[in-house]
Amino acid sequence: MILVLNTTTDREITEILRNDMNAKGITAEVVEAGELRMGNCIGCNHCWLKTPGECTVKDDFPEIFKKIVHADQLWVISDTALGFLDHKGKNIYDRLIPLATMYLCFKEGQMRHVMRYDRRTDIGIIYKGEADREYLKRWNERATLNFDCHSLGVFNTEELKEAVSCMY
Amino acid sequence: MHVLIINGSPRVKQYSNTDKILEKFTAGLSETGCTFEQYEVSDRKQWDSIRAAFDRNENILIALPLYVECIPGLLMEFLETLTPKNDDSKMSFILQSGFAEGIQLRCGEEYLEMLAERLGCKYVGTLVKGDNFSIRMFEGKQQERLTLRYKEMGVEFGKEGNFLSEKCRAFTGPEVFSAPMRIFIGIMFKTVVKNGFKNTALKWGCTKPLDYRPY
Repeated sequence: MILVLNTTTDREITEILRNDMNAKGITAEVVEAGELRMGNCIGCNHCWLKTPGECTVKDDFPEIFKKIVHADQLWVISDTALGFLDHKGKNIYDRLIPLATMYLCFKEGQMRHVMRYDRRTDIGIIYKGEADREYLKRWNERATLNFDCHSLGVFNTEELKEAVSCMY
Repeated sequence: MHVLIINGSPRVKQYSNTDKILEKFTAGLSETGCTFEQYEVSDRKQWDSIRAAFDRNENILIALPLYVECIPGLLMEFLETLTPKNDDSKMSFILQSGFAEGIQLRCGEEYLEMLAERLGCKYVGTLVKGDNFSIRMFEGKQQERLTLRYKEMGVEFGKEGNFLSEKCRAFTGPEVFSAPMRIFIGIMFKTVVKNGFKNTALKWGCTKPLDYRPY
């Protein structure tokens, strides 16, 4: 299952994306999250040590998180700020932490958390606005290492067709 | 030198590892005759004061935990509200993480250099150090064992006004662990460390296994 999470309030992006996906026969669940109540990770560590796998921040994210757990691909659509994803986009990544357990191991020579689920959700970025694209690419590759999954690539909103070509 | 210190952790001050690090760091900084003012991004009521302090200070230090390879979302939300300075202000960072190897923090460090520039400040280095997850798990001397090392770095920063010295670079420790060390730490992960986490979870009232799958 492909999950598209639009953290911007620009629904034109998802409208174009839907058309491009339809043209390729790709089905995806699209969540318009730009106006949902989705706060930041507060670093309480409850999802690791008190309520394993469950975020205790009471907002709209836990329902989306359930979908992410069962998705093969997650596409985060985000505005940008200071050359990077804006806080709404970054909050999504920060709140993926319950995908991992508190337990630790070494993988390819570096410390990693042991993942909670067998399924892996690969992650791609579609960004709107100015950003350091090369950094974002490197960052998403590093970020996805944390969740033992792969980066699907980084695309701006002018490259939606290219992003759709990475959906399967 | 007067330093504006912003604790960029989203965790409340009471439980903030970054705050415990700053306690020692500022003790060292004060020994050199420097003064400082400190704010917490986790307390949104302080945001107006932090913005005003950002505008009037020339030496700005942001201390933060690494969150998924970069800055925490809450810190980004705050920084989005700043007006870039474009003057001679200097910006430095203390970047800390749970994972112990230096290599784990380099991607975040790379962004901080870019961030200083985006905020119109001169980048004067990042003090990079991992292995800090358990600070909040301990108290007293055990906690001090993990945080005291930052006092010396406070002295260094007070003298130099930056984190560009070899001493600061060496503070990070190993970029990666050697293979024998990984085997040893791996065994510790499966025994002592695992039991330590289980005990902490019990104290926190956890009733499920830590690898529980709720969904």
